[in-house]
Amino acid sequence: MIELINVTKSFTNGIHALSGINLHIGKEEFVFLVGSSGAGKTTLMKLLYRDEIPTSGKVIVDRINVTELDASQIPYLRRNIGIVFQDFKLLPKRTVYENVAFALRVTGALRSTIRRKTMQALELVGLLRRVNSFPDELSGGEKQRACIARAIVNNPPILLADEPTGNLDPATSWDILQLLDKINKRNTTVVVSTHNKNIVDEMKKRVIELEGGRLVRDQQLGTYNVK
Amino acid sequence: MLSSLEFFIVEAFRSIRRSALMSFVAIATIIVSLTIFGLFLLLVLNMGNIVGSISSRMDLVAYVYKDLSLDDAGVIQIKISNLPGVEKVEFTSKTEAWNNFKDEFNSKLNLNEVVYDNPLPHTYMVRVRNADMLPQVAKEISSIDVVDEVRYNGKLIQQIKSLISAVRVGGTALVIMLSFATLLIVVNTIRLTVIARETDIYIMKLVGATDNFVKWPFIIEGIIIGVVGGVTSLLILKLSYEAVVNRILQALPFLPLITDYGLLMAIYATMFFGGTALGMIGGYISVSRVLKNEMQ
Repeated sequence: MIELINVTKSFTNGIHALSGINLHIGKEEFVFLVGSSGAGKTTLMKLLYRDEIPTSGKVIVDRINVTELDASQIPYLRRNIGIVFQDFKLLPKRTVYENVAFALRVTGALRSTIRRKTMQALELVGLLRRVNSFPDELSGGEKQRACIARAIVNNPPILLADEPTGNLDPATSWDILQLLDKINKRNTTVVVSTHNKNIVDEMKKRVIELEGGRLVRDQQLGTYNVK
Repeated sequence: MLSSLEFFIVEAFRSIRRSALMSFVAIATIIVSLTIFGLFLLLVLNMGNIVGSISSRMDLVAYVYKDLSLDDAGVIQIKISNLPGVEKVEFTSKTEAWNNFKDEFNSKLNLNEVVYDNPLPHTYMVRVRNADMLPQVAKEISSIDVVDEVRYNGKLIQQIKSLISAVRVGGTALVIMLSFATLLIVVNTIRLTVIARETDIYIMKLVGATDNFVKWPFIIEGIIIGVVGGVTSLLILKLSYEAVVNRILQALPFLPLITDYGLLMAIYATMFFGGTALGMIGGYISVSRVLKNEMQ
């Protein structure tokens, strides 16, 4: 589903964010991406949805060579990838419903389809009570649920979550990870970058560790630290 | 598609509301420049109309002071009639002119006591088909031996004509400059609203919006600003022009001002579509510039 072949990313300011990354993530896998800040986790995620282009190497997502993708095709790639952010990136002047529906609106979907799918996604994340609330009126966990609902409303085969629990308390973080696990079990490939040791250790999923832009560990049923 | 269009329009109005002051500035700028544009257009067209009617009434007069037999006078009349560009020639002999003059003034004074001899010349009133031909026709008539003097108002026409072309050139330059300035203001206004919504645009693109999807609300915002500006300026121009023309025609009813409904409608339509186009192009340029600097 996701493949990185000898991927290197250097920025114009001379920082080498990633070097020589080779990685394969299969269909419907659940993968934790761990490593200290600046290890290259976010850059790796951005390469997958073409927010960044690798300096060298190949990135393949859902059989599409993202590296060589024509700019006009990028929107269609992104409709197949749900993205969850640490800072939620919700539109502050729109209700929860509008925020989630937004991801369907851009696809030109019919109003009835938008309504049905948006309500389904909100039901899945347990946010039906808050459809008419604005982001300011939500707790951190609710904001993240709204963000997840927006990410999955299109039924994408891939869900990327960049530090989804970075701003949440432990209990809420655990709820969010349970939700991501539930989504994974509905046939979605899920990649989660995180600093949350407890969760990684508890969930026992595949763990990929980056350090200084290099892949230093790839472990099935792994833990946050090497045992 | 219909739900997208509805979304774009709602977004456009939302954006105008959010940056109400700048939208107002853009609309006001469009009103000012379009009104000036319309004023110049009407001014130039009216001046053209007036000159046209003056020159169409332009006659040329040839005087002969020497004595002429009626036969000779007839020969000269035919000669003038045959000149290219001449439409009509009327001859008034000096005797006839003198009689007319005396008829008119004898009741007031006894001319015979003051003037012993008829001082008036024979006169040929020549109507020329086209004002541009006046100089040539005048020259040809002057070259006829017996003709002493030829008079016409060529200079006046020439002066009005050069005034009109000056107004036309100056007006065109002013309109171009104003349109450019308006476009710049509209572009920058909408660009401010685009920049204010950069995060929105970033998120839109992250969830898979195409560039066109992102652009449409801003283009529609430009169109709304343009339509409001265009309609307001055409109403201002229409009402003020009608008021001014009515006043002038009451005082100078013979002045051939433009009151033709079709032509006026064409001018107003130009203003409406001009405003709409200004707004639309402004919206398109501003959002395209911001998108270019955005992520891919």
